[in-house]
Amino acid sequence: MPDETVVTLKLNQQQLELVDRTVARGVAPDRAALVRLALREYAAAHLGRATTEDRSPD
Amino acid sequence: MSEREKISEWIMPPGTGKAIELLRGQILRVEQIDGGQCVDFNCFNLHDYKEFMHCGRTRTVHGFNPSRGAFMWSAPPRERAMLYILDDTYGRNDVLFPRCSAYVYESAYGFDVHTNCHDIQAEAQREYGLTPDDVHDSFNLFMCTEVTLDGHATMTRQSTKPGDHVDLLALMDVLAVPNVCGADVMRTSNFSLKPIKLTVFAATPADLDAVPDVPRRASQRTPDDFRNPTIKPDRALRRDPTYAPEFPNVPIVVSDLAVVLSAAEFAMLRTLKLDIYGADDAAALRDILFSWWEERFLAAHSGAPAIEAQVASPRRQ
Repeated sequence: MPDETVVTLKLNQQQLELVDRTVARGVAPDRAALVRLALREYAAAHLGRATTEDRSPD
Repeated sequence: MSEREKISEWIMPPGTGKAIELLRGQILRVEQIDGGQCVDFNCFNLHDYKEFMHCGRTRTVHGFNPSRGAFMWSAPPRERAMLYILDDTYGRNDVLFPRCSAYVYESAYGFDVHTNCHDIQAEAQREYGLTPDDVHDSFNLFMCTEVTLDGHATMTRQSTKPGDHVDLLALMDVLAVPNVCGADVMRTSNFSLKPIKLTVFAATPADLDAVPDVPRRASQRTPDDFRNPTIKPDRALRRDPTYAPEFPNVPIVVSDLAVVLSAAEFAMLRTLKLDIYGADDAAALRDILFSWWEERFLAAHSGAPAIEAQVASPRRQ
């Protein structure tokens, strides 16, 4: 598996507005960082602690 | 606590309904006399009948059996809290079932004419110039229903007693229209038709203080906001040759957002990915993004405003 993989989301202007408002709240520094945060937190909530710790990001 | 001032009282005989002007700050008590009687209920903005209570919105916010602490909401695009359920001594109401109708009694039971909630509502509403087409989905008071595992709604008998009541506090001036449910060959009212007592009170300060604050939103629109605020006076539909569509946020424009995932993050994505997305990692990641957002930031389910009051559970059947 490569060290990094680029995934290109397709988001419409309404979806981007919600992303940008969330970033503006200080949840993440930018759009891409917010997506990665969402992925990690969602995984932590739905895959279980052991699994996500095994795959610790960053 | 101060006593409520009684404004009016009415007994609804079986087979009838009553349209009542209920002003903001007044309470309509719908009360069992003998017990065991279902009551269907319609509600309109007294100053604009096109704003009416919407069971769909109400059940989305408060569930299939709204009770004490729930609001009755008007239909989009108004979506205002019209009434507040201040008290409910029985605690079983329904927003799943439609009103019974003449068709039901003809097709299922063979009646040429039979008491039915649609026609009773229409006759009560006629006092205020409304037509049978204006009757809307009913909020069914004291009606015991449930959803079965195979996805059907069913009704059961009820065990209300004399004096059981629902108190509805008007948050705006409304035309409140309760009717004695016409179903005597169904179990909703235990196979008999009984009278119902209606009482209008002036709310006390304590009553008014019990209502949770409901946020006012720009999306709660009125005819002043409509591109076409004029009620159509004729029945036939004809195309407006000057019509130019103005749908909100159209055109929908899609943009790319490239996200660099570490090997660990990509592994998470692959593990979380739902089958419906097949090989489309981007769609799967978009799903995770917005599913996460809902879990982290939504204050209430189904987009409902977070206004549901925390009240003690009323007595259940």
